[in-house]
Amino acid sequence: MSDAIDRAVGLNAEDALYGTRRLRPEFVDGAEQCRLSVLAPNDDQGLAPDVRFALAQRMAMLNNDAELQADYQAQLATLQPSDQLLALAAGASELAEPLATLARHADLVTQQPMNATEQHIRLLEQAGLSNPQIVALSELIAFVNFQTRVAAGLRLLRSA
Amino acid sequence: MIPSVNLKPLYWHPYITPVEVADATPAQLDAMKVTPSNKKISEYVRTLAHDPDSYVARTVLFNAIMYVEGGLDRADRELGALGASIVNGCRYCAVVHARRHAQLAESDAVVSAIYFDRADVLGERDAAIYRFARRLSVTPAEASAEDMAALRAVGMNDQEIIDLIHAIAIFGWANRLMHVLGHADLNK
Repeated sequence: MSDAIDRAVGLNAEDALYGTRRLRPEFVDGAEQCRLSVLAPNDDQGLAPDVRFALAQRMAMLNNDAELQADYQAQLATLQPSDQLLALAAGASELAEPLATLARHADLVTQQPMNATEQHIRLLEQAGLSNPQIVALSELIAFVNFQTRVAAGLRLLRSA
Repeated sequence: MIPSVNLKPLYWHPYITPVEVADATPAQLDAMKVTPSNKKISEYVRTLAHDPDSYVARTVLFNAIMYVEGGLDRADRELGALGASIVNGCRYCAVVHARRHAQLAESDAVVSAIYFDRADVLGERDAAIYRFARRLSVTPAEASAEDMAALRAVGMNDQEIIDLIHAIAIFGWANRLMHVLGHADLNK
């Protein structure tokens, strides 16, 4: 069965790389379980699915990943997102709080993780995030940056 | 001659208050694997246990990527992890995985060259892996067909390259937790 990474890379069951990926079933299953844990968690900690998909779409765009961006956009569209969330997903910076703080943090950690400091965690707290929400947000940001790199690497491998 | 780098282990300290075992929910206790004989849980695990489902899922994937048998040599996976950690600015992860590379390779020549900014002296295979790791780790990724060709040229097959891609990518994840949620220093 094809998964989110196959879709992002454009792999079909008849592609050799589709089969080679599955020589590591623990990577394929593991990445899918991780995707579910950050985008469709049993306990969302009050960080709602539409916010998660909107952030994921934004971060896929920052990674220049048009396929994952379109995939997240389609999933967000099924959740009747607000105009504010659509703006966040599309990369806007003029947003109401706490979305503005979430977006700034996701942009920083995606693009320049080396520049993240304690102050950035304090800003999340000031925007009203609890410790579980700070960790859940961090895992979501980090996952999308994992997923975009797996997809980018596999696309290069397929065309090499 | 490049000197031997002295990489002292660092200690990680979170910016937020970790979960206290006494206050943990059943899901958090399960995630932290707290048992009567295992009550001392690291600050790192207790911090991430604030969101137990993602912690458990990522730990399973991380262990598979770094330790699964066969395929890419484990030292090469550590070199991918090190390249990512340096680009992402995670000093803690960089030191941990530089030390592991030196242990597995039974030599600190490669990590010393990297720490003294002399990647130009790396052998062909290490250079190809390290360059790919760095270029896949920036945002957006800059890894290219030439980088992939360099991995093939040193004899890596598709399965080994898939292992390497995952070792680099999982540090795109781990670095964004360790460096963002805390800081590292020499103090316990």
